[in-house]
Amino acid sequence: MFPVEHFLFLAALLFSVGLLIIITKRNTIMVLLGIELLLNASNLNLVAFNQLWPASVDGQMFVLFVIIVAVCEAAVGLAIVLQVYQYYQTSVTDSISELKE
Amino acid sequence: MTGLYDQLESVRASFGFFIPEMILCSAIIILLIAGLIKQDASKLLTVLSFLTFSTSLLTLVLYWPLEDIPVNIFNGMLRADNFSAYLKILIDVGGLLTVLMTWRYQKQQHLSEYYALIVTVVLGAHLLVMSMNFVTVFIALELISISSYILTGFSFSKSGAEGSQKYFLFGSVASAVMLYGFTFLYGMTGSFEFASPVFVNALINNQSTLLLVAGSMALAGFLYKMAAAPLHPWAPDVYEAAPMPVVAFFSVVPKLAGLGILTKFTLALNLFGQSVHDWQFVICLVSMISLTVGNFSALLQKRPKRLMAYSSIAQSGFLLVGVAAFLPGGINFMLFYATVYLLVNFLVFVYLQYFEAAGFETLESFAGVGRQLVWPCVFLLMGFIALTGLPPTAGFTAKLFIFSSTWEAYQLNGKSILLWLLVFGLLNTVISLFYYLKIPFYAFVKKAESNPITNNQTFENFFGLTLVLVILVLFFNPDLLMRWINKINFAL
Repeated sequence: MFPVEHFLFLAALLFSVGLLIIITKRNTIMVLLGIELLLNASNLNLVAFNQLWPASVDGQMFVLFVIIVAVCEAAVGLAIVLQVYQYYQTSVTDSISELKE
Repeated sequence: MTGLYDQLESVRASFGFFIPEMILCSAIIILLIAGLIKQDASKLLTVLSFLTFSTSLLTLVLYWPLEDIPVNIFNGMLRADNFSAYLKILIDVGGLLTVLMTWRYQKQQHLSEYYALIVTVVLGAHLLVMSMNFVTVFIALELISISSYILTGFSFSKSGAEGSQKYFLFGSVASAVMLYGFTFLYGMTGSFEFASPVFVNALINNQSTLLLVAGSMALAGFLYKMAAAPLHPWAPDVYEAAPMPVVAFFSVVPKLAGLGILTKFTLALNLFGQSVHDWQFVICLVSMISLTVGNFSALLQKRPKRLMAYSSIAQSGFLLVGVAAFLPGGINFMLFYATVYLLVNFLVFVYLQYFEAAGFETLESFAGVGRQLVWPCVFLLMGFIALTGLPPTAGFTAKLFIFSSTWEAYQLNGKSILLWLLVFGLLNTVISLFYYLKIPFYAFVKKAESNPITNNQTFENFFGLTLVLVILVLFFNPDLLMRWINKINFAL
């Protein structure tokens, strides 16, 4: 069995990559992908940490909930992107900026 | 391990403390079906949602005496106690007032989905203030968030779509960061129940820097829900994009829910005073930043909705002042403040909606309107005075209470940050005067260029009069409410 640390490093890498994508990418679809990476980093963490506490499967149960919530979020997110696209004809975040003082 | 029968029996017993939430659950389904069956059912839907919130409120009030002893339900996933019951009452009142506002708004489309989503947010808020477990915290928070993203777009306009996209991107990143924080807290303790002895003892024995980082990440999710700085930037755009009843709803219900869970969570992180990391300092700092950012940005605003968005950021700061004292008294005063904030905020938003419908969309357009529409302007003035915190309104009493609890906490432990918080709070109260009184200033002092309307709608004035009377009564006799709030003994 791998030590827990390896999984934690991988999760941290996923999390950083996700944040990087969210900050640098200009397309909303790419930002959505970044958010998925963030959530999956947490999932990996949860499963890995469950190794440390083998008395219950709490961590792995939580992962199931997170996956379901992530699906709901992606569904709503894509619907919103579609709605925005109908008005602006683009999904590049920089050009969607009418709301400013 | 207990047997299956015992497990089922405990679940069945838990449902006794779950009645308001079950009412809300069934209401969501009924509202959706009613919208499918009947075309143009706007009256029916409004009445249905009104009844939902009234029955839920009634159940909560009737069960109030039973909640004196905290009960863990659903295997410690949720807890029914009078702290959460009180917040749930406030949240339901918020829902009720939102339904009334929507009824007056009249041009809301897709009412059945709209009301179903409002009820969903209220359900999520109920669950969030009862949560004692990271799993329920995450799910309740997402229930609120995802429904809010959709509600923001319910003006069905270009700006509405943009607002909901911004809210979505900001909100999902904030909750993902919060989740990442939760995973580390789980790794350090092996428990999701953040108030359980297992969790607290494990953290007392292992107070590394990781705890500070993970705890702050988890707090970020709650602060985003409260629209407190530094996680506030979504608020102004969302407030400007959403329909007025939704804005009023957002400024109260998710904020109170976030406040409830934040209070529980920070007190758990404080490890009964044995924490090495100074969480009181963190909360004080957040509160000071929120106050300053909210108030100074509000000074520059030209539209009432954006002004109220920054005002709500500043008010989050004031609510956090109550938490920052880390005293039971401070939490009770914070609940008093939250009650007053709820009433006053709805008073202001009802009139902003009334004026928006009449075509007043910038602050300048209010010029001279105080002479034609005397009563609406007077009530709006009362609302703004109460938000500032001047006598003779309950806003003054509420501010006095929370600052007195900060002073008390300062005398107990002598931390200089509490004194700074007090100074910042008082200075910011003065600053807030300048932008809160802008609309009344235009309305009463400036001369009108044209006289567009003169209709005095009766419902808004009746509504405003009731709220103003409540605010005045609470100033002259805050005991009426404090007698109830003092029964709340906050315990983890």
